[in-house]
Amino acid sequence: MARSKRLLALVAALAALSLAVAGCGGKTETGGTGGEKEAVTVKIGVTAPFTGDVAALGLGIKNGATLAIDEANADPELKELGVKIEGMFVDDAADPKTAVNAATQLTSDPKVVGIVGHLNSGCSIPASAKYNEAGIVQISPASTNPKLTQQGFKNVFRVCTIDTVQGSFAGDFAVDKLGAKSVAVISDSTPYGDGLADEFAKQFQARGGKVVSRDKIQLKDQDFKALVTKIQGLKPDLIYFGGMYTEAGLISKQAKEAGLRVPLMGGDGLYTQQYIDIAGAANAEGDIATSVGLPLDQQPKGQEFKAAFEKKFPDANIEAYDTYAYDAAMVIIEAIKKVAKEMGADKLATPAGKQAIIDAVAKTDYDGVTGKVAFDEFGDTTNKAITAYIVKGGAFVPYEQ
Amino acid sequence: MHFNIADVPQQLVNGLTLGGMYALIALGYTLVYGILLMINFAHSEMFMMGAYFGLMWLKVLSKQSFFTSSGAGLIALYAVSILLAAIMTGTLGVLIERFAYRPLRHAPRLAPLISAIGVSLFLQNAILLWVSSRSIPFPIKFPVYQYTLARDPSGSLAFTVLGATEKLADKLGQGAHAIVQFSTLQIMIIVVTLVLLFVLDTFVSRTKLGKAMRATAQDRDTAGLMGVDINRIIAITFFIGPAMGAVAGIFSGMYYGNIKYNMGFIPGIKSFTAAVLGGIGNLRGAMLGGFVLGMAEALASGFISTAYKDVIAFVILILVLIFRPGGLLGESVVEKV
Amino acid sequence: MGGSKVDIKTSVESARLTPKKIALYAAIAAFLIAAPVYFQAVGNVFMVRIFALVGIYVMLALGLNIVVGYAGLLDLGYVAFYGMGAYSGVLLGYAWQRIVGGADAPLAGLSYWVLLPLAALMAALTGIALGTPVLRLRGDYLAIVTLGFGEIVRIALQNDAFGLTNGAAGLPRVGESIVPAAGQKWVFMHLSTSTFTFSKDLFWYVIVVALCLLTIFVIRRLDNSRLGRAWVAMREDEVAAAATGVNIMTTKLWAFSLGAMWGGIAGITYAYWVGFISPESFNFMESVLIVCMVVLGGMGSIPGSVVGAVIIAGLPEIIRGLAQSTALSRFLTPEQASRIGDYRFLIFGGLLVVMMAFRPQGILPSTRRARELTAEDVIVEEENVDMWEVEHKHDLPHKL
Repeated sequence: MARSKRLLALVAALAALSLAVAGCGGKTETGGTGGEKEAVTVKIGVTAPFTGDVAALGLGIKNGATLAIDEANADPELKELGVKIEGMFVDDAADPKTAVNAATQLTSDPKVVGIVGHLNSGCSIPASAKYNEAGIVQISPASTNPKLTQQGFKNVFRVCTIDTVQGSFAGDFAVDKLGAKSVAVISDSTPYGDGLADEFAKQFQARGGKVVSRDKIQLKDQDFKALVTKIQGLKPDLIYFGGMYTEAGLISKQAKEAGLRVPLMGGDGLYTQQYIDIAGAANAEGDIATSVGLPLDQQPKGQEFKAAFEKKFPDANIEAYDTYAYDAAMVIIEAIKKVAKEMGADKLATPAGKQAIIDAVAKTDYDGVTGKVAFDEFGDTTNKAITAYIVKGGAFVPYEQ
Repeated sequence: MHFNIADVPQQLVNGLTLGGMYALIALGYTLVYGILLMINFAHSEMFMMGAYFGLMWLKVLSKQSFFTSSGAGLIALYAVSILLAAIMTGTLGVLIERFAYRPLRHAPRLAPLISAIGVSLFLQNAILLWVSSRSIPFPIKFPVYQYTLARDPSGSLAFTVLGATEKLADKLGQGAHAIVQFSTLQIMIIVVTLVLLFVLDTFVSRTKLGKAMRATAQDRDTAGLMGVDINRIIAITFFIGPAMGAVAGIFSGMYYGNIKYNMGFIPGIKSFTAAVLGGIGNLRGAMLGGFVLGMAEALASGFISTAYKDVIAFVILILVLIFRPGGLLGESVVEKV
Repeated sequence: MGGSKVDIKTSVESARLTPKKIALYAAIAAFLIAAPVYFQAVGNVFMVRIFALVGIYVMLALGLNIVVGYAGLLDLGYVAFYGMGAYSGVLLGYAWQRIVGGADAPLAGLSYWVLLPLAALMAALTGIALGTPVLRLRGDYLAIVTLGFGEIVRIALQNDAFGLTNGAAGLPRVGESIVPAAGQKWVFMHLSTSTFTFSKDLFWYVIVVALCLLTIFVIRRLDNSRLGRAWVAMREDEVAAAATGVNIMTTKLWAFSLGAMWGGIAGITYAYWVGFISPESFNFMESVLIVCMVVLGGMGSIPGSVVGAVIIAGLPEIIRGLAQSTALSRFLTPEQASRIGDYRFLIFGGLLVVMMAFRPQGILPSTRRARELTAEDVIVEEENVDMWEVEHKHDLPHKL
């Protein structure tokens, strides 16, 4: 029977293949070569969408974390302690299922002692259960949905602010600074976009503003002309968009082309040069994005970061979350340093070491690129500073008035 | 739910433009389906590749001063870019058919579906990895005007042409409001689409090759026996469909201002829906289906709910099919016994 | 074409256990038990998870195989039933928590077990509800309607339909929970040793495998039943089938609802395993991939669906896992390894094309279906000698 023979061969091939994969994760080998003292290698898992729609932001996270890891390995203090840090970069494709796969892959590697990720709240939330199970610290540079840190997991932190904070800041800002009385609210049917837009609308209404329409769009849609025509008839002072730059840019462009010349405002998902590229500089002029932390230029470490970034990645722009990823990685690195000092480098990758790293992260007090990083009892950053940026002359600049 | 009667004309224009693009893409689906009974899932990638090829030629040709020195040159620049991109995409379509689909011609009917999905994944990721994961701006080098029909402050009808930064109020006075606006791009898309549809329809119904195509669609084997070179006809089909898709892709790039590696996905599903709505395998049906779907979407989005616009479009489709199982223009299938 | 003769022959043959078959089954069983346990033992939970995830897709592929493979109805919205199972499982779970008195009540852990049949039923009913109006549509018209239905379900979930689904943020909400299935804790406590943890993923792997076996068992019974024959008859020629007394509508509805049922089972299992569901998990691409599994493996073939699911659900992750394995870390920087991971869909897409070119009838086609194919397409050109026949020239004398 050729059929069953073939099946048998297939099973055998599969077995061989998976055994080959088994080679990963399993054995603990000591890395690091060349040094007089054999260094202990530990890994920081970095996971975000490196492919797919929001890959630009995900790759930015990778860049930011890479920078931090490179810097750490150049740090004589870590060398002294005999620790070498390696990045493990895993794509989550902005898909919840793949994100949990990625999380499992990372937690399966015993050398992974901390995670920087994920970008989307929809990914961070299910993945956080995996990190919690494995007892590994997770710091999200970008997931802003409040639920992430309210699940009761002690190992989950974020260096970005939550939607409630940003949304209500934006609501106040629209009333106080922009003098808007009516607004059309749109969101992109993601946990991030819907959450942020709802918070904004709540605050805007509480401040006496009028929400003239509340629409949800589908990701990857390109045609918003019909929506724009409808909003045009409602004559709002402002459009608020909860979501990412791709759709926001298209909406801004199509609105202005149709003659609806009111500013579009949004959250940190818009705060990237890509937004202006998509909308076109002329259309984006006057649009506003809020983002967490103070502007890079006003941060003592901002210039340093910028210089280092441009040196390492001459072709890339600094995206919305690069600095957060950098800070998130730095927080983990600081914790690794502390634990290595207290328990010894060889204990880092043990369950006790990983727990100690979680505890150290919880007590973080670190001056990062995005400002002072410290966490409250939920694991949310205490850095509640939010800056509004406006598009002027084809670039985002801090809003001043 | 929000109904503002004044929006209706503008929403129809929005729908017409969108529908034109759907119609162009739907043609590719329906042609291939008519001849091979195959849903060419890679067709949405032809739309995407067309846009990238178009951008490439636009960049290459812009370096020649001939194309940028005059208005006629600019028109030629876009026309030549579109033509070259359509030819490249058509050729790509033929190659894909030759290497991915032809080996499967006598396989179970769904087998080519898998190859098509494979091709689709491959092309999308090739662009993602080797070109860019980002949106790339698609340059418009000519001025875009809004041809506006409006009521001036006194309430009488007025027609005016607005430049990109001009406001209606400045032209006609405070209190004027637009009834309907066409942009240069919208007019271009609708006109070119209609011309292409007409040409293709004439080609299929009047020429000898078109006759051969129809014969092949009716009965491939018998057509073969009658002396039709089946492989050639299929190759031609796989050239025309992607070429049309490429034109739609470039229009999409111009109209929305950006192209991205995954831009084909949604228009692909929608256009396939349009092809079925009109009666799959039926050329005029695909055109009609495209326009109907575009209109339905614009009206649903403008007057009912943006979130549920696709739901509404699909519900319309389901209702049409329940009452007319062959689609709008499809013939009712006679069961072969 | 003498099909019926062959059918009897093949079905008798498949029931007979030859030594070769026993060896094959033993090898598969040994692999299915040994591999995950080994991975768990070396601490590679990632592979355990991939095994369980593949199992979920095996169930989905087998379920869809009823619809696409046996009944010949192309369903491009199968993921809707998967979603129905997941969401109804979680929502009914809340009701169960209320009945037994909270998420910490002793009986709360039974929710998965109690709701498993209910979620299956819900999905099956959805299948009937959708099927009744649209099943008279033929071929690809049906495909597009099911596609539309899948999108409608996803969009409704995303927009918090009836205030139940919590929109894009997914379930459970803050403060709610999906109670782990009873048994998960027990095996963790009692079957773990100091060096071996009986992890959550391993526990769910066991459940998934059991469900897959159940699915295979049921589908095999169905295949040889009156209903199964009616499906085949209908698939081959609806008019002729109707003329011989097959009630087309009922037969189609059975296929649709039975297929949907397995979607539902897979859905609730996925939800209770991962503990979080959101609408993005139930998108159109997912439906397409499940169809791919069925077709790639060979339509109407049980081993085919299994192999298709293993390849399509497992391969991209395995490519990634391999790229980042320590075995290769000597040759690749983390940067390069991650880069290869990003190439997985490119590689996968290319492989799909190549695989289909070599085996258009699927990897392990059903003997019955393949035989029908030989008669289906009349061949015109000389290069069109049917591939199946060429390949199986040597097999044929044995079977006839």
